Amino acid sequence: MVELEVIGGANGQCGGSSDPCESAGCQCDSAESDSRRQFLQQASTFALGAVSLTLFPVSVAEGEPAGGAGGGLGTDAQPPMYGFLVDTEKCIGSGKCLTACRVENDVPEGYQRTWVERYVHFKDGTVQVDLVPETGYAGSDQPPIDPEQVERAYFVPKLCNHCEDAPCNQVCPVHASFTSPEGFELIDTERCIGCAYCVQACPYGTRFINPDTGTADKCTWCYHRVMRDEDPACVEACPVGARLFGRVDDPDSEISQRIAAIPTSVLKAHLGTHPKTRYLGISDEVT
Amino acid sequence: MNRIVALWRDTRHLWVLLILVVGIGAVALMARARMVPESYGETGPYRARARDEIAAKPSVLIADATCLECHADVGEERAESLHKAVRCFHCHGVGHEHVALARKAAENPDLSVPPAAEWDGNFRTDIDLYVTEDRATCLACHQAVVGMPEDFKKINVAEHLENMGASETESRETCFECHAGHDTAP
Repeated sequence: MVELEVIGGANGQCGGSSDPCESAGCQCDSAESDSRRQFLQQASTFALGAVSLTLFPVSVAEGEPAGGAGGGLGTDAQPPMYGFLVDTEKCIGSGKCLTACRVENDVPEGYQRTWVERYVHFKDGTVQVDLVPETGYAGSDQPPIDPEQVERAYFVPKLCNHCEDAPCNQVCPVHASFTSPEGFELIDTERCIGCAYCVQACPYGTRFINPDTGTADKCTWCYHRVMRDEDPACVEACPVGARLFGRVDDPDSEISQRIAAIPTSVLKAHLGTHPKTRYLGISDEVT
Repeated sequence: MNRIVALWRDTRHLWVLLILVVGIGAVALMARARMVPESYGETGPYRARARDEIAAKPSVLIADATCLECHADVGEERAESLHKAVRCFHCHGVGHEHVALARKAAENPDLSVPPAAEWDGNFRTDIDLYVTEDRATCLACHQAVVGMPEDFKKINVAEHLENMGASETESRETCFECHAGHDTAP
């Protein structure tokens, strides 16, 4: 009791904070007061640390180097293992990849994990962007564009970029969005609460809320196929080889050699998301 | 005795604090045990088993190698074709039900694989097998569309027929009247 009164008195007399005991008339013992304050600071730090260690699993901190992925927080700890190369100079807009993806991943009608955009630059300077129908243009009732008025035009297949610094992961409040040790951005549909924060966070618009499951959904680079050494369905489906998938950590792989030989780019590089899906033959208007 | 009572009176607030801290800590630990899913945090801040669940999904898209297990003759026909990069399912549908049935039939002689169903013309919903000689099958890729690469073979049917000297009276309903299916030459 006596000591507590002294502490109260010391605080009262010395003002307690910015101006400790050096002003004239201060009666407390400076050294004793400091050590007590230090002790209380250290004790509270220790207590906070102890409480947070019990509340949050230690294994997360241990798992990170082995996992090679920061998951919700930041960059992959190791260089990318897998990469995806989209060659826009080869794409013919047949839409075969769209069908393959829908069949492979049971994507509901009206939603797409991958899609193909067509950029048409007209001679009058306007640019039109439309989506390749799943049947290809031949099977659709879309009115054809007069080739005489077109300056240049090309197709751009889009899919999840599997960013090294994935903004979608960082906003997930329940850690349902995560990075696998192989660098795939995946969704734990059992944990996902369908809040759609990730849908808004993705700068590339690759995510949607699946109406069948009520959870977030997106391209997984066909994680299930890749884990048994098969190509992603869209890669398997492309009749002209516009999509290429493989190990980028192996310098002898086809994708590594093509990336090394030809300049490629990523979408919205200025956002610093470090996409692992790379593009060949696109210009600045493609985002 | 008086000293003990006095000690209790003087330190009671500390004991209450201690009990509160221990109690809240215990509740937090129990809540955590209930709320943190099994396998969480094993390889990062997520439920590690979710990876295995995603990886366990079956592959649906049938690889050409699977088709050629039974249809090896087609593989030989296609070996030198301009269309050797075209997958079986591009023209014939995905056919996983067909493959599943064929695998069962291989083990059970009572089962037989029925002839492939006729294509109903719907690429999106008809995910199983079909045989098609419809012109649309070829045009799905070869219809001349703005945006295609320069060197890709683009077909405008009316122009093509005229260039090839087909008279208007000739039917030319399908491409296969002139072009072969599997070993397509230009």
